[in-house]
Amino acid sequence: MKKTLTVNLAGTVYHIDEDAYILLDNYLNNLRYHFRSIEGADEIVCDMEARIAELFDEYLRAGHQVVTVEEVEAVIARMGKPEELDGDAAEDGEASGQPADACAEEFQSGPRRRLFRNPDDCILGGVASGVAAYAGCDPIWIRLSLIAFGFFVHEVILAYLIAWMIIPLAKTATEKLQMRGEPVNVESIGKTVTDGFSHVKETFRSEKTQSALYQLANGVTRFLGGLIRILLILAAVCAVPFLLTALFVLFVLAMAAMGMLVSVPAVLYEAVPYIDWGMLSTVSGPAIVFVVSGLLVFGLPAVGLLQLLMQSFGKWKPMATWAKVLLILLWVVAAGVSLYCVLTASFFRLPEHSVWL
Amino acid sequence: MKVDNVKSQMRKGMLEYCILLLLRREASYASDIILKLKEAKLIVVEGTLYPLLTRLKNDGLLAYEWIESTQGPPRKYYKLTEPGEAFLNELESAWDELSDTVTHLRQKLISTIQS
Repeated sequence: MKKTLTVNLAGTVYHIDEDAYILLDNYLNNLRYHFRSIEGADEIVCDMEARIAELFDEYLRAGHQVVTVEEVEAVIARMGKPEELDGDAAEDGEASGQPADACAEEFQSGPRRRLFRNPDDCILGGVASGVAAYAGCDPIWIRLSLIAFGFFVHEVILAYLIAWMIIPLAKTATEKLQMRGEPVNVESIGKTVTDGFSHVKETFRSEKTQSALYQLANGVTRFLGGLIRILLILAAVCAVPFLLTALFVLFVLAMAAMGMLVSVPAVLYEAVPYIDWGMLSTVSGPAIVFVVSGLLVFGLPAVGLLQLLMQSFGKWKPMATWAKVLLILLWVVAAGVSLYCVLTASFFRLPEHSVWL
Repeated sequence: MKVDNVKSQMRKGMLEYCILLLLRREASYASDIILKLKEAKLIVVEGTLYPLLTRLKNDGLLAYEWIESTQGPPRKYYKLTEPGEAFLNELESAWDELSDTVTHLRQKLISTIQS
């Protein structure tokens, strides 16, 4: 049984299997990408779409009811993959030479693997199976060693959570191919798509062929994963009051920051202490540092939560990895600084006794 | 492998000339042109034609009009424009020259072998 969709191709309606639709959609997108630098790219793809519609017409007139993956594959073979259209698409010989060379180089060095979280095989965040795909081994080993180390070295758990935050999820077929280090082209994308649909069947079938030990290990990791998931949900529920408090603190700090804006010249107080700035401001430098770092400590997670919420509603794009790393580093620094401030309480002292960090 | 490469280069060079030639006789739509070019074994994959047609149209050598069809949606019929006609004539003489040169070379080769 397969789900079908209705598509409008060059003004005619067709029933098409879901997997066939994804393959065709990928193909048309690849064409659009391939011709993007050529004048009239939209027209070319439109005309090709019309031709594909015509080929589907012939196919359906032969008595078929639904366009299948096989038919779409046949049509793609007939129309040609983007790389087969290369020579004619380019304006002249010189222009065609360059991209072809670049492509050749990419193929020679082999497709680069990229680290993604794997949504098709995940217990918590898909970090372990993503790392396994990157390293080219079975996810079970990564999971077992994570659990084993997690018991003794608690930093592993923290590292997992940070990895969960930072590593992007492999959403598209292209990203899933990059995750496994396979070349990205129309066939492999098509394969990933059809694989995805047969994936469920396979996992049920392959259970029998695995050894008992493997099954046991798999069962244990899945059980622990489920347990941790429940714990995380509980923790999230318990965190709600803290979150509200944090928001309140954030508000207070924001008010403090406002107040400080009025007394910005206080920095000069620290920088040039031998002038009597007392008449200008009474806020010391460390106090500014404390409020700014405090704002960051409470503000960054708030921004992160907002981003997460908006992302799950599909309103905002996911943050770039480097941005996430930078923000987490910034948060760690800010947390350290504000902790230091609280411990030494240096901002309570008079400016001449205070020590700069 | 190399022979194939040279062959496809040769075909590629002729393709535009052949398309213009086909369209001089009668206005036709893309699928007709594909059929004829496939018969002549000039193209392997159909998608090759579309960027070419669009480029020739953008260069002003071809023009198209939408014509209703009995089966399915209206079709784009391409035909040669006046600059296209002139362009084709120029290509024609270039092709004649080329073919003359090649035949001449081949005949010369045959005569030297025979003598």
